[in-house]
Amino acid sequence: MITRFITEVSTRFNPFSARSKSARLFLSFLPPTARSSGMTITTKLLARTSTEPSSLTVKFKDGKELNFDSDTMGIKSLIEEVDRHSRILQKQSDLNE
Amino acid sequence: MAPRIRCPAAARGLGVAMGPSCSTIASSRSAALLWPATLAASTTTTRQYAKMVESAFAGVSTLRLPDDYVPPTKPPTARPSDVRKSQLLRTYTSLLRSTPLILIFQHSNLTATEWAAIRRELNIALANVSPPGTDAAEIASKVQLQVIRTRIFDVALKLVEFYDPSKVAPTTASTASGKKVKVTYNHDLSKAAYEAVRAVTKGDAPLPATSRYAELSPLMVGPVALLTLPAVSPDHLAAALSVLSPSPPAFPAPSRRKSPGYYDPIAQSGLQKLMLVGGRIEGKVFDIDGVKWVGGIKGGLDSLRAQLVGMLQSAGLGLTSVLEGAGKSLWLTMESRKISMEEAEKPAVVEEAEKVEEVMEKKE
Repeated sequence: MITRFITEVSTRFNPFSARSKSARLFLSFLPPTARSSGMTITTKLLARTSTEPSSLTVKFKDGKELNFDSDTMGIKSLIEEVDRHSRILQKQSDLNE
Repeated sequence: MAPRIRCPAAARGLGVAMGPSCSTIASSRSAALLWPATLAASTTTTRQYAKMVESAFAGVSTLRLPDDYVPPTKPPTARPSDVRKSQLLRTYTSLLRSTPLILIFQHSNLTATEWAAIRRELNIALANVSPPGTDAAEIASKVQLQVIRTRIFDVALKLVEFYDPSKVAPTTASTASGKKVKVTYNHDLSKAAYEAVRAVTKGDAPLPATSRYAELSPLMVGPVALLTLPAVSPDHLAAALSVLSPSPPAFPAPSRRKSPGYYDPIAQSGLQKLMLVGGRIEGKVFDIDGVKWVGGIKGGLDSLRAQLVGMLQSAGLGLTSVLEGAGKSLWLTMESRKISMEEAEKPAVVEEAEKVEEVMEKKE
């Protein structure tokens, strides 16, 4: 996953729900140096009885904000969607260099 | 790899030993098939055949493979024993059977130095819970923060819940010397264990609602680490929580003056990536709030026990007084009724006596 252009990741999920899987896996895909390189990562854990759907919000350097319904999306499609925008930004940054 | 060097010779030896005897059996069998029915049925030939078979196998039974024989197609694994899947499964099942307090964390790409810093801070905080030399210090020294293989831990969870080793019936097996003995294969890697787990989790059928595995299995996703405490000690749990997932005011992070190492950038970046997702305490599954509630029990289990004893004693006193009260009131009413009846009877008896006296006087 291209994480260079992500500035903010915020997730909300109930870990006791099987549908929180993709949100949790997304967090594990962020590199170890994510926070020190300026990415803000916020995680809110819901109570066990909560039925609120899990959510994932990713903000990019160009200000674009993507909201994902991580309840229904798998980790592969999440990464695909994030990378789709990251690749556009990467192309732009390559041209500027 | 020493056994492997020995095996080709052993295998060749076996081949040599088996060679002629096998061929004799084969030839005699084919001969028996080719013979006409009358000839084959004659007693002499069958007896001869049986003898031949016996002698053939007697030769084989004297030949024995060395105890450390390793088949060339199954070389010993090169993996260190403590990270083999089978060994991990054994470790996890024994961990689940013996450990009353397990906290489950998600760790997202922590580096080795960050793990080292977190473990250091955890150990410092746990050591501060109680003076050395006590039981509490013993608990603190046995607390472990370990990264687990999630899928194997998931299997171990199933095994611990759905498989009861004591219910496996013994089977007969023959030893190397041909003796029949009763053996119980009920270890966690046995076929019985596999079948017991498979019987419950097979297909898409939902697991029983009371199943602990069904509650815990959603947590077994992605990278998971466990904090294991050898006893349910809320004091140690509170100390661990205040380091690993501080949440003021109940579990404040250690102060900057007392433990400067905690505010080391390496330790802090590691702690940010560590996320408490749940816990398993005394076999029950708790979420974060539940874990915090257990950690917030003041004075530990002893104080809870004292509370319970106090409650039962006061309840007992109340009960005896209630029971006594009922008896007493019954006795009082009966007694008062008795007295009143006696009083009512007395004048009547006196009157009757007077009447009798009057009649006697008249007769006279």
